[in-house]
Amino acid sequence: MATLAFDGVEKRYGQVQVLHRVDLAVADGEFIVLVGPSGCGKSTLLRCIAGLEEITGGELRIDGRRVNDVAPRDRDVAMVFQSYALYPHMTVRENMGFALSLQKHPETKSRVDAAAEMLGLATLLDRYPRELSGGQRQRVAMGRAIVRRPKVFLFDEPLSNLDASLRNQVRVELRRQHAELRTTTVYVTHDQVEAMTLADRIVVLNGGVVQQVGTPSELFFEPSNRFVAGFIGSPGMNFLERLDDDIIGVRPNDVRFGPDEPFAAEVELVEQLGYEAMVHLRLGGETLIARVEGTVAPGAGRVGFARAYRFDRATGARLPDRPLSPRGA
Amino acid sequence: MILALLASAHADDVVLWHAWRGDERTALEQVVATWNGAHPDQQVRPVFVSYESLASKLEAAVPRGNGPDLFIFAHEKIAAWTADGIVLPVSEPSDARLHPVTLGALRLTDDPRLWGWPLAYKSLALFHNRALVPEPPATTDALLDVARGQRGADRWGFAWEASSAYAVAPWLHGYGGGVFGPDGVALDTPANVDALRFVETLARLGPAEPSGALLTQLFNEGRVAMIANGPWFLGEVSDTVDYGVAPLPVVSATGRPAAPYVTVETLFLARDDADARAFGAWMVTDGAASVRLDVGRQLVANADLPVTDPALAAFRAQLDAAVPMPTRREMGKTWEPVARALRRLVRGSVGPEAAAREAQTEYAIVSRPPPAPADPRPWWVLGAVAALAGVAWLAREVRGAPIAAWRFAYAWVAPSFIAMTLLVVLPFLVGAGVSLFEYHDQAWTFVGLANFLDIVLARDFPLSSPLSFWSTLLVTVLWTLANVVLHVGIGVALAMLLREPWVRMRGVFRALLILPWAIPSYITALVWKGMFHRQFGAINGLLEAVGLAPISWFAQWSTAFAANVTTNTWLGFPFMMVVTLGALQAIPRDLEEAAEIDGATGWQRFRNVTLPLLKPALLPAVILGSVWTFNMFNVIYLVSGGEPDGSTDILISQAYRWAFTRGHRYGYAAAYAVLIFGVLVVYGQAANRLAGKKVL
Repeated sequence: MATLAFDGVEKRYGQVQVLHRVDLAVADGEFIVLVGPSGCGKSTLLRCIAGLEEITGGELRIDGRRVNDVAPRDRDVAMVFQSYALYPHMTVRENMGFALSLQKHPETKSRVDAAAEMLGLATLLDRYPRELSGGQRQRVAMGRAIVRRPKVFLFDEPLSNLDASLRNQVRVELRRQHAELRTTTVYVTHDQVEAMTLADRIVVLNGGVVQQVGTPSELFFEPSNRFVAGFIGSPGMNFLERLDDDIIGVRPNDVRFGPDEPFAAEVELVEQLGYEAMVHLRLGGETLIARVEGTVAPGAGRVGFARAYRFDRATGARLPDRPLSPRGA
Repeated sequence: MILALLASAHADDVVLWHAWRGDERTALEQVVATWNGAHPDQQVRPVFVSYESLASKLEAAVPRGNGPDLFIFAHEKIAAWTADGIVLPVSEPSDARLHPVTLGALRLTDDPRLWGWPLAYKSLALFHNRALVPEPPATTDALLDVARGQRGADRWGFAWEASSAYAVAPWLHGYGGGVFGPDGVALDTPANVDALRFVETLARLGPAEPSGALLTQLFNEGRVAMIANGPWFLGEVSDTVDYGVAPLPVVSATGRPAAPYVTVETLFLARDDADARAFGAWMVTDGAASVRLDVGRQLVANADLPVTDPALAAFRAQLDAAVPMPTRREMGKTWEPVARALRRLVRGSVGPEAAAREAQTEYAIVSRPPPAPADPRPWWVLGAVAALAGVAWLAREVRGAPIAAWRFAYAWVAPSFIAMTLLVVLPFLVGAGVSLFEYHDQAWTFVGLANFLDIVLARDFPLSSPLSFWSTLLVTVLWTLANVVLHVGIGVALAMLLREPWVRMRGVFRALLILPWAIPSYITALVWKGMFHRQFGAINGLLEAVGLAPISWFAQWSTAFAANVTTNTWLGFPFMMVVTLGALQAIPRDLEEAAEIDGATGWQRFRNVTLPLLKPALLPAVILGSVWTFNMFNVIYLVSGGEPDGSTDILISQAYRWAFTRGHRYGYAAAYAVLIFGVLVVYGQAANRLAGKKVL
């Protein structure tokens, strides 16, 4: 049972400001994903929650308690590091039980056993980290966090060292565990697919500034600016700059083909992916990617958009939808 | 180099080896030039050899016929050198009257022959600061009066090296005693006890722990009114001090003059050569001597040569009451027992009777005749079996090895193999071999394991004596333990501190902290020794500044040991710090962060995460460091010097003393070395087991 509140949180290293006035309220049991390109400040924000970085402005509250000056060990948060940070000189059991054994907690053994059972680590408890595979280490790191039953789980790109198939598997597992434990979770990733699949709400960061906070579908369907629109969704949104006074954003699956559509386009290339195909088009000198069900034959034709987003040329801010006023077509 | 010089020499030249420097060397070269100008067919060529190596070069070269025709050295070694044929007798000088004491020094008991031409002499005399003591005291009672009268908070009436057997000799002789009695070494005679009682009184009136350098400083600063010192001190007296030199006073109790040892710089004949003899006889003529007197400021032995310099005249007067440095072989074994007894006496831990008695007892131990020779035959058999086993093992290892295929590899390894064999294996085997012998009076006796039995069974000393092997071993283990704990503790602590983000100027600190390591250890040791001085050391100065009583650091075991440990810790922690800094770099920062989040306090983080991760790097360093410390000769020898009474000596310094200051008992010392090796082998094995891998 824990909430998290960011109130104008700032972080600067000398002259360099890496977080600009972050305001965010995380509800109890919520799964929040911080996403953004590298260097956007998402890891810094996570480390601020852990207490590994000091906040230079604003206020951070865990469960209503101001923790700006509280040492990491007194915040009751658990963190899974990108490198897992398993203690190499301790067995799996010792790693998982470390936090509890420091407190001489009477349930150390039973909780470790329970977590190991849940994570499928029961047979590996006496091994050392160096004797485990990458996926097993990742699970030990998760187990170390789970055993503590902390107020908040923090994950710092925990899947980035796993291969693709394992990543999908663990992702599902994470989601299932969260459904079971309902612990407030803050999860950092640069992979928007992870963000979309895991998050209750996503926080998109760029350049230390929160771009948008919302559910995955909110972010997908109603991005508040060009950055979010481009970052969320794969393949990304097409941005057409010559079509209108504003920048027009079109998701690849919103491209329609038909003789009555308003724009003439040439097909440059078709990527056949099986379930779908990516059609690379030239439209008024710009590239437009369309996602089409099944297989298609290359050719020329006319295209239109089921939905078009409108962004300010100067600021990238989202503008109200209105019909296109084509300049040339 | 000398051989090369000899090879290029004109075959007829008379070669003269000497170690004179400065004015003395100038005078010598001037005299030789005069001779060479007058004797074109009897050319003399002086060759300078450094003093430190002169004796050993002579002893190596002369018996093989490679030595010089003549050489200059102090007279003390003539007993050994006449026996070994290194020096030859010379005819009595007829052209000059030489002081009888200098001639007497060059004769052996019951042998009228003269073994060299006396050139100059050196002895102690009394230096007094005229501003403080206008007239030098003529008697010891007067000396004591001055010593008492001039004594102040940081000033003294009289000072001399009270713990040196050489500097105490004048009083022994003045009281009618001395090192030798009618039947050999007799240190515990009533006369010597009386002399020691006087020494005790006089030493109490002087500054603590007076070393030569300290005496020079105090006299030059006018803080000591009088000192007993030799002619070498004339070059060290400050121009600002108005000083006089006088013979040492007459002992009031006996009416005899205090008689210092005199050493005679002698021109020795090493090869029977007429030209060399002619030159030698000419060297002691008044004409040649006057150059040495005027140019070299030498105290020449020529009795008729007028001496105008009042300081030199005082030394000349002192010569009338001087005893030639004994040349008997037993003399060499008396120095350390006497010095040890004197240190105890001056420190106040024993009285004069006990000091004299202990000196005699310790002399008896160091001069003990060797044990009965052992039968070497079983050892030959053993050695042969071992050699055969070695060859067999080697043959087995080599058999089938594709030596031809790896010819180049073997060629590359060969230089270091040869170097290791010559520098490590061979000396080790020789040392181990020497431990089976006893060296006594220039003769080696095969004694088998007798040295080891003497040491291990503590035959000469009770177990609790500082000189027994077992108590020294205990001290050595304590020493090693204390040092390693402090080195690692301080090294790791500083390394952790240097990593803290709030530490500014990290690079500067790192460089500063490595500095103690970069300075030669003997310099550091001497600096610390000075800082621990009772009266003038910085440490007692600090204690006094905060209102604590000063400590006589080297007067009791605990403080002397602590002084040694402090010095060695200063020397040792940078290594551990550097190792730790390196190892810390390899520990990912997020491990500590993980522990921090897991709720570990700073100490728990260090104890449970950092330290275990440092262990793989630290353990070999600790094992290596403990071996270095175990054999850390420099610090022990230079800081406490084993004081008090050798109780802070460790095994290696004890071995050194047996070899070089307690009567050259090389076999005994070698046995010590072999035992040290054994202890370290056992330690290495234990350490390997502890580390779970091969470290040593």
